[in-house]
Amino acid sequence: MTRYDIRLRIVYKYDTAASAGRHVARLLPAELPGEQRVVASTLDVSPRPAEWTTRVDFFGNTVSEVAFAGPHERIGFEVRAVVDVSEAGPQLDVSPRLETLAHEIAGARRLDARSPHHFTGPSQRAPIDPAVTAFAREAAPESASAFAAVVAVGAAVHAEMRFDTAATTVDTTMIDAFENRHGVCQDFSHVMIAALRGIGVPAGYVSGFLRTDPPPGQPRLEGADAMHAWVMAWCGSELGWVEYDPTNGVFAGSDHIVIARGRDYADVSPVRGTMRTSGDHTSVQQVDVVPMSGGG
Amino acid sequence: MDDRLARLLAGYPAAGPVPDELMTPAGGIRPVWAPFIAAIAAMSPAERAARHARGDQYLADAGVFYRQYGTPDASERAWPLSHMPLLIDEEEWAGFTAGLKQRADLLEAVCADLYGENRLVADGHLPAALVAGNPEWLRPLVGVTPRGGRFLHFVAFDIGRGPTGEWWVLGDRTQAPSGAGFALENRIATTRVYGDRFGEANVHRLAGFFRAFRDSLIGLREGQGNRVGIYTPGPMNETYYEHAYIARYLGFQLLEGDDLIVRDGELLVRTIAGPKPVNVLWRRVDASWADPLELAEGSTLGTPGMLGAVRAGRITMVNALGSGVLETRALLAFLPRISEVLTGAPLAVPNIATWWCGQKAERDYVKANADAMTIGDAFETRMLFDAADVAVPGDAARPSEALGIGDWLDASGASLVGQETVTLSTTPAFDGGRLVPRPMSLRVFLARTPDGWEVMPGGFARIGRSASPQLSMQQGGSAADVWIVSKGPVRGETMLAPSQTQFVREQPSQLPSRAADSFYWLGRYVERAEHTLRLARAYHVRLAETGAAADPLLALIHEEMERFGSEPGEGLPRGAAQALAAAANATAAIRDRFAVDGWNALNDLSRTVRQLEKVTLVGDDMARALGVLLRKLSGFSGLVHENMYRFLGWRFLSIGRSLERALALTGLLALTADPDAPEGALDLAVEVADAVMTHRRRYSVATSRATVLDLLMLDPLNPRAVVYQLDAIAEHIGHLPGADALRPATPPQRAILKMRTEVALHTPDSLDTEGLRAIEAEIAALSGHLAAAYLT
Repeated sequence: MTRYDIRLRIVYKYDTAASAGRHVARLLPAELPGEQRVVASTLDVSPRPAEWTTRVDFFGNTVSEVAFAGPHERIGFEVRAVVDVSEAGPQLDVSPRLETLAHEIAGARRLDARSPHHFTGPSQRAPIDPAVTAFAREAAPESASAFAAVVAVGAAVHAEMRFDTAATTVDTTMIDAFENRHGVCQDFSHVMIAALRGIGVPAGYVSGFLRTDPPPGQPRLEGADAMHAWVMAWCGSELGWVEYDPTNGVFAGSDHIVIARGRDYADVSPVRGTMRTSGDHTSVQQVDVVPMSGGG
Repeated sequence: MDDRLARLLAGYPAAGPVPDELMTPAGGIRPVWAPFIAAIAAMSPAERAARHARGDQYLADAGVFYRQYGTPDASERAWPLSHMPLLIDEEEWAGFTAGLKQRADLLEAVCADLYGENRLVADGHLPAALVAGNPEWLRPLVGVTPRGGRFLHFVAFDIGRGPTGEWWVLGDRTQAPSGAGFALENRIATTRVYGDRFGEANVHRLAGFFRAFRDSLIGLREGQGNRVGIYTPGPMNETYYEHAYIARYLGFQLLEGDDLIVRDGELLVRTIAGPKPVNVLWRRVDASWADPLELAEGSTLGTPGMLGAVRAGRITMVNALGSGVLETRALLAFLPRISEVLTGAPLAVPNIATWWCGQKAERDYVKANADAMTIGDAFETRMLFDAADVAVPGDAARPSEALGIGDWLDASGASLVGQETVTLSTTPAFDGGRLVPRPMSLRVFLARTPDGWEVMPGGFARIGRSASPQLSMQQGGSAADVWIVSKGPVRGETMLAPSQTQFVREQPSQLPSRAADSFYWLGRYVERAEHTLRLARAYHVRLAETGAAADPLLALIHEEMERFGSEPGEGLPRGAAQALAAAANATAAIRDRFAVDGWNALNDLSRTVRQLEKVTLVGDDMARALGVLLRKLSGFSGLVHENMYRFLGWRFLSIGRSLERALALTGLLALTADPDAPEGALDLAVEVADAVMTHRRRYSVATSRATVLDLLMLDPLNPRAVVYQLDAIAEHIGHLPGADALRPATPPQRAILKMRTEVALHTPDSLDTEGLRAIEAEIAALSGHLAAAYLT
């Protein structure tokens, strides 16, 4: 178990003052029994919102909705949290082969948040594309187990794509990132999700934090300076969901802290909002994820 | 069969491969049609043509249109009325519409399950993939029970008569069914055609249905004083005409997403008097667009926070957001079984046989019978005029010819359905002077009332253009009225309450800011067009006299016209055409609040403009053509002034007109009353201001700087004077919300008072060009005050 002290600050600045705005934020670490425990967490929003409600969305994520009534030139979100993350046990491959995975999916007669059915088809940010499917098929033959396929596809995405914080933006499409073989965690994740769905493996998007500095003797992970994202994949009813970080080519383990899960970025975007302003805006994001002494 | 009847039906096949509505297989006329067909046969061809023209004229006058997609300008098309109604016997009607009520209840139960417990999936009656992969199953609304507990309040079914004479449901319309308003217009137009016969024909009236539904909507409100709105995507939607028509017919506000805001979970309309609650929305916007915060990102048709208001139970949506999931084509494959499970009874009216290809057995069946199938998108939720609306043989959705049907089904089975290709019954339609059989499908509307589902006794029939079963109106089909014929006389119905009851004068509705903005700009654009046209006419009159474009006075007009985006030499001034087009746009956005006559007058103007744009005239000819346009403009203004009810929209229109006129006049005077202006400039000002006669009477001298400034700036009795227009603006502003004699003046009130006083204190001598330009700037600034106070 590792205990983390997490700080996140996101600031949006508007060129011309916004007269009103409404935003939904998914920024707080998730409470996940058995995986992750939130010891304490707070969200501060400035300026003071006129309305503030909190709810849980379809996928079980905590959502804060804030509305600003008066004119404002900037808004800031600040998270402070202390979270315990469990060590993931070794993964034993008890997953079915890809050929029979469809049968297991069909057998899942449920539509709760963790049902594989939500994660099989194309979604807004992760469409199914023939070229991406062919890429996945090359990495994982039909005879492979679902779990082996996840590892193979994740490793292939990690090997083929170049991490480049300047190459893409939050609005870059999956196809674009795939064709150019570059991007950040969001792009890596969308490509892997589309690839897995293309070969019949249910796959979703996880947003979260990554430990800023590596444990002694280990390399620093990419994407630790900002919020991070990785992939969840369903490997049959027995093994269930596994989480893989294609940006770093590793399973999501005790260095990964989950905020939200969904089909793709659109379901879990940290801040999604609408505002009345005529001008453009800029944003900055700062993340610090530090293991606390006494933990681990 | 007498001769005339035989001529009318010459070539009408007695027995075709499919049932016919008019003819029995034996070749006789069905009893329900007999008296009506005999009456039509008795008419001379000329009489029939005259009657058809009456119906078409009504539709043209009423401005009925639908928007055709796929053309470069998504143009408005005249309504294609079939001049032959469809007649159905009331007993037959009562029989199968009882089955449709059962179906509506079943769909309500399915919807409640899909957004609630999901027993149908858990028990294996519905594949989970069909729900999870459905774009209309809206996850943010899962677990949300609508206020009042009901998902469905107004539904429609597309039905057709199959080969054995039974009625079949072809599709369920539960999201935001369109067509009810068009059914009304079809009825009115058809009544124009057969007005005398209509009374004799014992046809059930439609008004009772609409009255019952209107009362039901009003009954859905919680709290007195709360309003019901019709929620529209706006003028670019294909059935916007219908939204505006229904809003006017039922007396509800027509609202766009931009009219609405959410505050503390409550849905409010932005009105000129501030935000006002709205409590029930009859929704014509597809759910995915309703809230950019939680549904389709970047939607400009929706309102951020709308879903919050739904979750908080502060608004009733008709129908509930998410009910579109029921329209899914693949659901038809499972409804027969679900009906047995949920109600213990089979479907009273069967639906078209459907197989979902996500299951192996069903997929194999579709493969084996592909010739008799239509294969298409399982999640398709079709709209009224979509090309794919009614099943046609083939596999239109297949990605490429090269892909075999079998491979295609194996690869994409879960997103495909096969449907039995049905042949629909035919009904008579006019083709030249005789009747021919054409395939037909029927849309039937059901409204939930406190007493249960009520069926509109009539509907909306789509008639194919040719004998092929292609029915889509986008491809040239037509629409027919549906007569449910009673054995005996029927009761007359109207929307109005019986006149014996005490009448109540209803409060005028709160004017949404967006509508006020449209009225305001309509006024400004029409006035701007008029000013530009007058300038152009003055130019061409002088050009005809002098024949020399180099004349300094012509150069001055040129300069003034350029301010309004026009050049005088080019024929019809571009600026005027643009202003009239902008006026038409503004009117389109307030169609529900605008009288049909005014709309027609504006359309007539636009037609004249388009004609003039095609020809090039100069000098005298052009001056005359501009005179015609100016007369039509005066006609429009007169209509507005004489006929329009003095509600707040009219005040904004009037303010816009006065402000634009004051602005244009001041600018014109700054130019023409300048000491350096060329000879004849003052006469020009008087002419463009349409004050030649007045000047002659008031001063009995030739124009001078003093008389012209006195008449056109300072005379409070001259409607063509700036001060008169400022008085008019002040008067209107005094009637707007927030203006109250007992309270401090509003910012627009203060601005107009200051300006009015300044102008009134002037004499012609004290008004120099600089002063005129300063006044002009202040008038322009007033527009900003108004916008800030009322229009945003």
